[in-house]
Amino acid sequence: MQKTAAAAPALPRRKKRYTDKYFALPAIIWVAVTTQIPFLTTVVLSTLKWNLVRPDQGIQFDWFNNYLYYFTGSGAKDFWPILGQTFALLAVTLAGCTVFGFFVALLLDHRLAGINVVRTLVLGPFFVMSTTSGVIWKVTILNMDFGWYALICKTLGLQPVDFISHHPIGIIAFLFVWQWMPFFLLIILGGLQSLSEEVLESAHIDGANWWVTTMRIKLPMIMNYMQTAIMLGLIFLVKEFGLILVTTKGGPGKSSYTLAYFIYDIVFTSKRVGRAAAISVLTVILVSLSVNILLKLIHRRNEMLT
Amino acid sequence: MTSGNTQAFKEAQKALRRRRAAKNVGIGVAAYAFGILYFFPILYMFLTGFKTEIQAVHPRIFFTPTLDTFKKVFADRGLSLNLSNSAFQVTMSTLLCMLLGVPAAFTIRFGKFKKASTNRTLHNWFLTTILLPPVAILMPLFLFYNSTGLMHTRFGLLVLYVGFHLPIVIWMVHSFLTDVPNELIEAAEIDGCSRIQQIGYVVLPLARMGIFSACMLVAVFVWNEFFLAFSLTTNQVQTLPVYMSRFREQQGQFTAQLSASSTVSVLPALILGWLTQKNLVKGLTMGAVKG
Repeated sequence: MQKTAAAAPALPRRKKRYTDKYFALPAIIWVAVTTQIPFLTTVVLSTLKWNLVRPDQGIQFDWFNNYLYYFTGSGAKDFWPILGQTFALLAVTLAGCTVFGFFVALLLDHRLAGINVVRTLVLGPFFVMSTTSGVIWKVTILNMDFGWYALICKTLGLQPVDFISHHPIGIIAFLFVWQWMPFFLLIILGGLQSLSEEVLESAHIDGANWWVTTMRIKLPMIMNYMQTAIMLGLIFLVKEFGLILVTTKGGPGKSSYTLAYFIYDIVFTSKRVGRAAAISVLTVILVSLSVNILLKLIHRRNEMLT
Repeated sequence: MTSGNTQAFKEAQKALRRRRAAKNVGIGVAAYAFGILYFFPILYMFLTGFKTEIQAVHPRIFFTPTLDTFKKVFADRGLSLNLSNSAFQVTMSTLLCMLLGVPAAFTIRFGKFKKASTNRTLHNWFLTTILLPPVAILMPLFLFYNSTGLMHTRFGLLVLYVGFHLPIVIWMVHSFLTDVPNELIEAAEIDGCSRIQQIGYVVLPLARMGIFSACMLVAVFVWNEFFLAFSLTTNQVQTLPVYMSRFREQQGQFTAQLSASSTVSVLPALILGWLTQKNLVKGLTMGAVKG
C-alpha cells in the first residue's frame, strides 16, 4: 500500500479514460434505432413516388412533388381542411383544458378533509385508455335512445342532438378535454401549491378580493406551469388516434380527420408511401415548431423572473 | 385594553371562524359534487358490468347486481389472451426501460465526458425524441416490419414500446436526480464505489420515489398505448386497447359485457396511476418549468 503511494508521483500521468458513456450507450442506440433512424427514413421516403398497390410502376425519385401534391395539387382539397381541423381541435382542446383545469385547480387548492379523494376521482379519466373511454361515452352517455344524455334531455323536455354525426370535432374536443383536463389540473395544482403563503397573505391584507388575487397574482405566478402543461399536452394530443377511431372513425366523410388519422389512412388504404411520408414530415415540423415557440416563451419568462 | 373590548374581539373572531367553516363546507360540497360528476362515466361503467344485458339497456343506478356478466366476459378466450399480451408488454417494457433508462439518466446527470457540454447535449437529444409522434414513422415501420416478419409479433411491438418510452423515463429520472447533490456521488467515488455501485447504493435509495413513479407512468402509458398496437398487431398478439376498440364489431352490441371488459381493461392502469399521482407532477414539470 505504502509502496504504491510513494511511487505514484513518479509515474507518468495516465490519460484519463472516459468510460461513463458506456452507461448511456445502450439507451442511445435503442432510441436512435427505433425513433431517429425510422424518421430519417421517412424523410427519404417522402421524396419517392411509390405506390404499394401498383408494384408494376416501380419506385422513382420524385423531388418534392409529394409535398406539392398536398399544397397545391389535387391533394390540397384534403390536406388544407384536415390541417385546419387538426389545428382547431388542438386549439379548442388545449384552451379548454387550460381554463377548465385552472378553475378546477382553484377549487381543489383548499386544505379540506377528503380533498385528496376528489382529486383522485377527477384524475381517473386520464388513466383510462382512450378507446375504452370513447366507447363508454358513445354507448352509455351519448347514445340517442338509451344513454344518460337522452334520458336527461327527455326529462327536461328537450330534443337530444346527435353530436357524433353533427358536431364530430366538437364531441372529440369535449372528450379530449374530459380525458386531458386532469393532467393539466395536476400540473397547475402543483403550481398553485408552490406559491408562497406570504405573497397571498399580504395581498389579503392589502384588501385584494378573490378575483384580483386569482387573476392578478396567482395566474401570472403559475404561468410557467400552464405553458408547460400546454406544451406537454400538445405533444401528447398530436398522437391521439384511438378516441377518434372509436367515436367518429374520422367521419362523417373526412370531417373529423386529424393529421395523425390522415397518415394512418394513407398508409393502410391508398398505400402511397411517398405521400404518407410527406404528411408525416409535415406533422413533425409543425409539432416541433409549436413546441419551440412555447419553450421560448417559458425561457423568456424564466429570464424575466431571475 | 378593557374586558369589554376583549369580549367583542373574541365574538368577532368566533363569527369569522364560523363564516370560514361555512365557506369550507360549501367548497367541500362543490368539490365532491364535481368529482363524482366528473368520474361518473367510469363509475357507471363499473356498475354496468354488474348488470345483466337486459338491465344494462336502461340508464339506472340502482339494480340487483350479478356476477354473471363478468363470468361470461372472462370465459371469452380473446379477452384473456389479450390480457396476457398486455401484461407481457407492460412488464417487459417497464423492465427494459428501467434497465437502460436509469443508468442513462445517471450518466447524463453525473457522468464525465471529454466535452463538458455532452451532458446537456444528451439530455436535449432525449427530450427532442419525445416530440416525435409514433404516427410519423408508421410508413417505414410498416415497410420494414412487413419485409422482416416482425409484423404481428409481440417482439416487434415491444422494441418500439421501449424505444418510445425510454426518453420519458430518462427525463423523469433525471429530473429527480437533480435533487441528489454532486458531493454525494463524489464521496462515493472517493470511497472506491464503481459507477454501478454508485447507482445501486446511492442513487437507487435516494431517487427511489422518482424511479418508482417513472415505472408506473411507463406501465400506464404502455398499457393504454393504442396506435402502434392497432397498426402492427392482429388478434393473436394484440393488446387490450385494440380489443376494446374492436369489441362492438367482434362481440356485438352488448352493453353489460362491454362495461365488464372495459372494467377489466381500465382497472389496472387506474390503480397504477392513482398510486403515482403525487410524484407525477414533479417528474413531468421539473424538467420543463426550470428548463
